[in-house]
Amino acid sequence: MHRLTAALRDDQTRPVARPSVPWLGALPPLARPIIRTMPWVMLITACLISLVYLAFLAHVTHAPSSPLGPGALRLTFLPAVAALAFVPRDPFRPLTQTTPVPAWVAPAGHLVLAALILAATCWAQLRIIAGAAPHTLGQLPAVYPLIAQLTGWCAVTVAVAAWVRRTRYADLSGAIAAPVSLSAVALAWYAPITSRFVAEPAASPHGVTIVWYAVASAALALTGVALRDQWHRYSRRLHYPFRKNR
Amino acid sequence: MTTTDGGAALPGAGAAGPPGQHAPAGLTARSRASRRRTVLALARVEALLLIRSWLALAGVLAGGVVIWAFMWAAQPLWWDADWQIGEGQLTLAMAVLVAAQLTAGRPRRDAMTDLYASFPARASTRTVAQLAGLAGAVPASLLLIGAAAVVVQLHGPIGAPSVAVLAGGLLLVIAAGAAGIAIGARFPHPMAGVLGALVLAVTSWQSQRFPGAIPWLLAWPLESNGAGQLDRLPGPLAGYPPAAAHAAELAGVAVLAGIVALAVTTRRAPVRARAWLAAAGAVAMAVTCLAGAVQLRPIPTADLNHLVAETASPASAQHCTTASQVRYCLYPGFGRDLPALEAPVDEVLAHLPARPVQPLTVRQAVFLSLGDPVLTHGHPAQQVARWAAQLQRATGIPPAAGIYLPVGSWPAGGGLLTVARFDLALAAAEWAVHLSGTSGTSNGFQPCVPVGQAREAVAIWLAILATHPSASELQGGLQAGHLFGTQVGSAMVPIWNYPGVGNGYVTPPGGGPQLTAAGYRLASAMTSLPQQRVAHVLTGAWGRWLNWRTTDAQLAAALAIPMPSVPAMTPHPPPGRVAPGPGPGQQSPVCTG
Repeated sequence: MHRLTAALRDDQTRPVARPSVPWLGALPPLARPIIRTMPWVMLITACLISLVYLAFLAHVTHAPSSPLGPGALRLTFLPAVAALAFVPRDPFRPLTQTTPVPAWVAPAGHLVLAALILAATCWAQLRIIAGAAPHTLGQLPAVYPLIAQLTGWCAVTVAVAAWVRRTRYADLSGAIAAPVSLSAVALAWYAPITSRFVAEPAASPHGVTIVWYAVASAALALTGVALRDQWHRYSRRLHYPFRKNR
Repeated sequence: MTTTDGGAALPGAGAAGPPGQHAPAGLTARSRASRRRTVLALARVEALLLIRSWLALAGVLAGGVVIWAFMWAAQPLWWDADWQIGEGQLTLAMAVLVAAQLTAGRPRRDAMTDLYASFPARASTRTVAQLAGLAGAVPASLLLIGAAAVVVQLHGPIGAPSVAVLAGGLLLVIAAGAAGIAIGARFPHPMAGVLGALVLAVTSWQSQRFPGAIPWLLAWPLESNGAGQLDRLPGPLAGYPPAAAHAAELAGVAVLAGIVALAVTTRRAPVRARAWLAAAGAVAMAVTCLAGAVQLRPIPTADLNHLVAETASPASAQHCTTASQVRYCLYPGFGRDLPALEAPVDEVLAHLPARPVQPLTVRQAVFLSLGDPVLTHGHPAQQVARWAAQLQRATGIPPAAGIYLPVGSWPAGGGLLTVARFDLALAAAEWAVHLSGTSGTSNGFQPCVPVGQAREAVAIWLAILATHPSASELQGGLQAGHLFGTQVGSAMVPIWNYPGVGNGYVTPPGGGPQLTAAGYRLASAMTSLPQQRVAHVLTGAWGRWLNWRTTDAQLAAALAIPMPSVPAMTPHPPPGRVAPGPGPGQQSPVCTG
């Protein structure tokens, strides 16, 4: 009893425990604005286009020699990947940088939500393919390299978009990042030098998985650097007077 | 967009009217001329901006890369190459679509609609100017066509280009730009343009999934999918692709997209203007539908009869010439390949002590697939079955004295041509030593294996002597230490994948045997000996070396060299690699003929 009383007394005198990261407490209230500012319409439209088009292909496919497979899934997933390029956006960056919460929290939250939507889209597409060709599914390669490839594509797209956001072309970051990242992926896919590492059957499924997850990790690291970046580059010349003043 | 760029005032800009108000019905001739001048001036600026757009420039570069990737390997056939140039135009079309959508959607995207409405040029005028500004994409498209045509010409093409197909590619770019303007007029978000471009690409890439002739209705079905047999045809086939109708369809789509863009931006137009738009839209729709219907017509039976006859009995269509007692039969137009074919065969013949009695024939072959619905759609199943039976009777395993050259597979030049010449020389050498793929006990489609036979090493030595391929190319067939094997009886025999084995440049006599690593190693050792010494040994007992019972060890002993050892083979290929040759459980016969 004495111990309990002492503990209560100590608790009254001890300062209130605060999280080690001071702005973590602001996250729950931030959830609603993050959800509200998420570009839901564009992302869901793109994902629906991916889904509907794959379902349409499954419906019209009449060529038994080329059953619906991972190749069709990759292609029809491209609109969803392109939509991801428009997700990391924070139009009020100069304002949000002045708040106690880091400015990267909102775009990071958007990316987490988008990842959930894309994961659901990918799962639905895998179900469509499984339903379209159940007899050939057993002959298809494993799904894990495909998931690694799509993860890598998404990560590269997000990284390019995040970095374009830090340039003077921020307003068109999505429109630039989508074709640039998709072109880069296509180049890596088809170029003889890189295709033996990133595409089957030249590379083994394990190799493809490792390479694409490595690419995704690097891209996510670059995305983190870009999102945490504090400067807003209006003009390169602005740097010099600031340095002199220091 | 153009009026905010700080440029000079546009000549002939009319008086500003209230936003959204359009010209009255009784427009004077002067104001019409003024509006025309405004449109022309704006269009010129839009065209210049489109030419300078990094998207269009990237599209040209990417289109060039796509065309090169599709065409670099094989000798171009113009009835196939012009469609492949269109595939590059598809890439440019995607870029132009995105650029046009960004242009058309800019006022709403930047929340500057009110500012734009205060300009002398009305929204409809700007839309007409943007549509006319698509002329800026024409130089890029023509540049792509011209550059690709030059590259094709430099590679020695067969046939002549189709103006309708090339024009179709140009119209594809313009139609995509018009579609981009229509999308941008309604959906200003940049994602809309990207989605439009992706839909354009994905439908073309997946065109093989559509039944019948539906792929022709898509923007530009890729040759590797929708129009997959163009590169295998011995000549142009009328209606495959239906180029003129496809170009008309694209033109109709371009006009239709332009009308949609105008309809979106002139919602409060007078009734008469809307009526004109509706009438023009109906005409464009009718043209598009008519062109689509023409594309869905089946290829005439007479043309397909002719194609099947050319394929099944090539002697009826090919021109044959005899040189050095070898008969070369090529389809019309392919005669320029004759010297490239004769050279390696003549080199092999020059080193032969004695020729076989059976003369050699080198013949082009067409491997036609009648299961392609784009080719045979609209024809009764019985007719298709008759054609298939006709082809079945003619095809099958080639005879022992025939070398077949699949149409469209002969490379244009460079290293691949060296490989193809080696393959042809090897096929001729196999004929010379009586080594045919069917010379063993019949075992389905499994080629025989000349295990431990001297004549195999002789054939490889002859081919190496005739074409002098690089050592690295030859050594590459051993897969860098990972030998692949084929099961012969109870033993696994390490095989040698000669250069170009999977490229299909040449179909050797009887389909060709599977060559062994031991045979290659002995032939490689023979090349290091003086040529006269080897020739002396071979000439001395030529009949003995051709006997399938004469072993490679005996040949090595006759040459006074040790029999090269073959390293222990890997029982299974490394993960992710597929070993050529039979799968587990399949056995190859020994070549005994």
